Amino acid sequence: MELSAQQMDQLKELGNIGASHAATSLSRMLMSPIDMTVPEVMLIDIADIATHIRDEIAAIVIFEIQGEISPGGYVGLYMPRDSAIRLTNTMLGSTDMDREFNEMDESALLEVGNIMISQFLDATATLLDIIMIPSPPDIAIDMAHAVFETIVSQVASDINNVILFRTDLRSTEHEIRGAIILMPDCTTLNEILMLLERLMQG
Amino acid sequence: MRHLNTTSSDIPAPPALPQQCVNVGIGASHTGSCPMTAIGLGSCIALVLHDTRHAVGACAHIMLPESGGKTDRPGKYADTAIPLLIGELTAQGGVKRYFVAKIAGGASMFSNFQGKLNIGKRNIEAVRAHLEAHGIPIAAEDVGGTVGRTLHYNPAHGGNISVKRADGSCREF
Repeated sequence: MELSAQQMDQLKELGNIGASHAATSLSRMLMSPIDMTVPEVMLIDIADIATHIRDEIAAIVIFEIQGEISPGGYVGLYMPRDSAIRLTNTMLGSTDMDREFNEMDESALLEVGNIMISQFLDATATLLDIIMIPSPPDIAIDMAHAVFETIVSQVASDINNVILFRTDLRSTEHEIRGAIILMPDCTTLNEILMLLERLMQG
Repeated sequence: MRHLNTTSSDIPAPPALPQQCVNVGIGASHTGSCPMTAIGLGSCIALVLHDTRHAVGACAHIMLPESGGKTDRPGKYADTAIPLLIGELTAQGGVKRYFVAKIAGGASMFSNFQGKLNIGKRNIEAVRAHLEAHGIPIAAEDVGGTVGRTLHYNPAHGGNISVKRADGSCREF
């Protein structure tokens, strides 16, 4: 798999639109401004994923992309452990940082992930004029690399590199940071690139 | 900055400087006498082949059970990784009858996506079956469950392995 500089730019722009919608929904939920980085699009060899995603404990809400393109790959909300606790504390009106994740936390994170990722997929799908919907979510609170390698094993059974798309989000007020991570299936990626190409030609 | 003080020339260098540690990424493998790690094992399996008589070993970060005939990245699949490690370890002075295997990983990371993402279990079964077919005993294992693991392996120190789990517990074998 190879991507031209132009294709990378197109993907970044697509992601930017999706992530802006997701960030807006997070901002509404927290009633606080959210900063967002310009999306990164990386083509990574599976052996090098550990240089981008380490084994720190994080909460990851993950969705399979369904709809017209299926199997579409995976999209997820990634949040380091402390940020995830701060987020649910903000939502549930608690201040206790020194605690384990409980069912309420998981349920709150699933809901935040659901709202944000639905917004993300909806905005990108509208731009591409196709239907993309998230599957019911699943959550893992574990080493980030361990979670992502399980997803990589799904999208990279026949290939040795993956597209990793990432936008970081941050709420300075609540000291919360997170990221939206997209790992499209190879065929989905090609389809998205084709649609983008068509869109650019107008 | 205390460590800077020890660089003074009249202090001899410690005999066993920490060697460079190789992280074995997904689908990759490494053979030699230096310490190796496989960080963040989820459904993947870190397979360590250790030569109990010689201070050498090999490690592969196996992602899937079967290669289906693909040969471009043998460390990625259980059926191709085992012959690869045996070959590399033998080439570096290992003797097959002293080989033992130690494995970690193969967790099931998602509860809802289990049907689709329960590759961990299939990986464990495949690694065990292929090791048996090659006549290599499993000396220790920490597999299955629902938490991620990070493995450290040091061929020089009697093949010592430590596995740190995501829940904070740690095992040595």
